[in-house]
Amino acid sequence: MSGWLSAILYILLAPVAGGLIAGIDRKLTARMQRRIGPPIFQPFYDLFKLIDKENVIVNLYQNLYLTGFLVFNIVAGTLFFAGGDLLLVIFALALSGIFLVLGAASATSPYSHIGAERELIQMMACEPMLLIAAMGLYLLPHSFQVRDILAVDKPLFLYLPGILFGLLYILTIKLRKSPFDLSTSHHAHQEIVKGITTEFSGPALAVVELAHWYETILILGMIYLFFAWNPWVAVPATIGLYLAEILVDNTNARLTWRWTVTSSWLIAAVAGAGNLIVLFYFLKAGF
Amino acid sequence: MSNRTIIPFGPQHPVLPEPIHLDLVVEDERVIEAIPSFGFIHRGLERLVEKKDFQEFTFVAERVCGICSFIHGMGYCQAVERVMGITLPPRADYLRTFWAELSRIHSHLLWMGLVADAFGFENLFMNSWRIRENILDIVEETTGGRVIFGAAKIGGTRRDVTNDKLKEIGRTLKTIEAELHAITDVFEQDYSVQQRLRGIGILSREDAFDLGAVGPTLRGSGEPMDARCEGYAAYRDIEVEPIVESDCDSYARCMVRIREIYQSFDIIRQVLCRMPDGETEIKVKGYPNGEHFARLEQPRGEVLYYVKGNGTKHLDRFRVRTPTFANIPPLLKMLQGCDLPDVPVIVLTIDPCISCAER
Amino acid sequence: METPQEIVTIASSDLLAKVQEQKDAGHRLVQICATTLEQLELSYSFMGKEGITHLRLLLPRDQPSLPSITDIYFGAFAYENEMHDLFGIDIRDIRVDYKGKFYKISEPAPFNAGCLIPTRKQPS
Repeated sequence: MSGWLSAILYILLAPVAGGLIAGIDRKLTARMQRRIGPPIFQPFYDLFKLIDKENVIVNLYQNLYLTGFLVFNIVAGTLFFAGGDLLLVIFALALSGIFLVLGAASATSPYSHIGAERELIQMMACEPMLLIAAMGLYLLPHSFQVRDILAVDKPLFLYLPGILFGLLYILTIKLRKSPFDLSTSHHAHQEIVKGITTEFSGPALAVVELAHWYETILILGMIYLFFAWNPWVAVPATIGLYLAEILVDNTNARLTWRWTVTSSWLIAAVAGAGNLIVLFYFLKAGF
Repeated sequence: MSNRTIIPFGPQHPVLPEPIHLDLVVEDERVIEAIPSFGFIHRGLERLVEKKDFQEFTFVAERVCGICSFIHGMGYCQAVERVMGITLPPRADYLRTFWAELSRIHSHLLWMGLVADAFGFENLFMNSWRIRENILDIVEETTGGRVIFGAAKIGGTRRDVTNDKLKEIGRTLKTIEAELHAITDVFEQDYSVQQRLRGIGILSREDAFDLGAVGPTLRGSGEPMDARCEGYAAYRDIEVEPIVESDCDSYARCMVRIREIYQSFDIIRQVLCRMPDGETEIKVKGYPNGEHFARLEQPRGEVLYYVKGNGTKHLDRFRVRTPTFANIPPLLKMLQGCDLPDVPVIVLTIDPCISCAER
Repeated sequence: METPQEIVTIASSDLLAKVQEQKDAGHRLVQICATTLEQLELSYSFMGKEGITHLRLLLPRDQPSLPSITDIYFGAFAYENEMHDLFGIDIRDIRVDYKGKFYKISEPAPFNAGCLIPTRKQPS
C-alpha cells in the first residue's frame, strides 16, 4: 500500500477509530469502576452535540489557534502514516500543542491560564523522551523515515525495551490519563476545573476532541512501530498496551507537575538514554 | 518574581460544590493566601425555633445537614431531654447510637469518595460510594429514609427495629466490612495516594488546638478529643477510645477517618449484642424550662447544641455550633503556602459541610 | 463520663481578662453564641480537662458593643462576625473583620429583631 493512500485513509478514518477507541475506553473504565458506563458511540453523540451548539468565543483568535491545533495534529499524523520523517512528525505534534496552549492562554480565565502553563510543563516533560525515541528508532534502519523503520525486519521492541517503556510512560501524559492528567482531565473535577479546555465550548470544544482522537491514533501508530516486523504481534501488542494505559488510569491518583517532570525526565535519562547508548555500542560492535 | 493570580474556588466549582468561596491568591502555583467568604445560603434555622413547637423542631434540627442529619436531630432531642429531665428507655438510647454510628460510617465513606475525587482517583471514588450505598440501604430498611432518617424524637425514637432485623443487619454489616478492606488498603498503601496526602496540609497540634479545630482534624494532629467519651446515649456502656494520629498531615486525618469507620462497625456490633428489650419512647409532658449545652460527636467532629426554654412550647433559643464552622480557621491556616493542586485535598480533609455551617 | 459544665456570669467589661484567664489555663474555645431576651445574653464556652465553662454576660439590645477576643483566640473571628451580622453587636477590632458581609442577609441584625410571634409571653 502506498504511503499516500494510507495517509488519506488516516485523515478519513482516524476520527472514526479515535472516537470508537474513546468510547471503548469509557466503557472499560466504567466497568473497572463497576459502573455500567455510556454506550460505545457516546463520544460521537457528544461530538455532534458540541458541533450543534452556539459558537461562543471569548477571544477573536481562539478559534484560529484551535484550528491550528487540529490542522497540525492532522499534519503530524498524515506525515507519519505517509511514511514521512519521524522527527518532523514529532515537531508538528509539538507545534499543534503550542497552538492549543495559545488558544487557552488567549482566554482571560485563570483556570485556562494555569492549564496552559501546565500544558507547557507537560510538553517539556514529554519532548526529551519523544526525541530519544526518534533517535532509538533511527539506529537500526539509519533513517528517520517511518517507511524505512517499518521495513526493518527485526522486532524493534527487543532492541528498544527501555525506550518503549519511556515512551509508554509519557504516553500517559499525551493521552491525558491519570496520574498525569494535570493540564486537563477527562473529568472536570480538579482544582483548575477542566484546565486548558475550560474556556472552550461548543464547536471549539468539538475541535479539541476531534484533534485528540487524531492524536490518539498517531500515538497508537508510534507504539505499533516497535512491533512492526510482524503485524500479528503488533496489533495485539498495541491494543494490549492501550489497555494497560486504561488500567494505569484507573489505579492511580493524579500527581503533581513537579513529580511528573522529575519522573519523566528521570525515565528518559535512565531508560531512554541508557537504552540508546547500550544499543549504539552493541550495533557498533557489530551485533 | 511576582506573578500573582487570583483563582476563584467555589461555590461554582466542580471540586467544591459547597456554598463557600475561596479566593486563592497564587504565585505561580503556590498559594500565598486564601480569602474565604461564606454566608451565601444562611437559612436562619436557629431563629425558626421561636415559631415552631419544640417537638416539631426536631425535624428542622435534622435538616440542618444532609449528611450528618440524624445526629443533629439526636443532639437537639438530647439537649431538650436534659432540660426537661427525661431519661430515655435504654432501647431508645441504643437505637439512636446504632443510627448515629451508621451515619458516621456513611459520612466517612462519602468523604473517602470525595477526597479520592479531589486527587483524581476516580475508581476509588466510585467504589467508596458503592459501598456507602449498602449502608444507606440499611438505613432505609430501618428508618424509611436515606438522607433524613427522621427517627429521633423527644422522648425516644419514632421507630423500633425488630430483633430479627437487627440480627440480619449484623450479618450484612460483616460482609460490608470485609469489602471495605479492599478500599481502605488503597488509601493506606497506594503510592500515588500517599504522594498526594503525606506531608500535605500540616496543622500542628498547637495550631489545631488554638484555632479550635474539632473532630478528625484535631485528632489527626494528635489531640485525643472525642465527644463520644461524654458517655451520652449508649456510649455510657460502650467504651470509645479516641482515634489519634500524630502526623498532623492530610494522610493522618484520612487515617483517623478510616480507622473510625472500623471503630464504628465495632460499636454497632456491641450495640447489636447488648440491645436491650423494651419500650423505645416515653410520653413527654410539659414544656422545657431551663438551658443546656449538649455536646456530641458528629462524623466531622464535636457539635454543640444549646437549648434555652422558657416554660412555653416555643424555645427561646436553639443554637448549634457545627463542626465545620469550628474547622474553618484551621483550614485557612493549612491553606497558607500550599501548592495549588493540594488545595482540594486540604479543603476536603476538614470534611467541609458548609451547608451545615450555614444553619 | 460526662464533662461537668458551669455557667459563670461576668461583667462585659471583664471579658478580655476572663478570656485571657481561660487561654492561660490552656482551655479551648468551643463556641460563642448570643440569645435575644430582654437583653442580649452572650455565652463564651471554653473547655479544659476539668470541664466546660460558659462565660455569660449581658448586653443591652440597643447598640451593643464588645471588644474582640481574636487577639487571644484567633478562631473566634467566625463567631464574632456571626454575632455582628445576626445580632448587630458591634465587636471592635476583629482580626478578620467582614464588616457585615459575613452572611449575605437581606436585613441587618435579624436575630435581634423583635420576637417572631408577637403575642408570645416574654419571660420575666
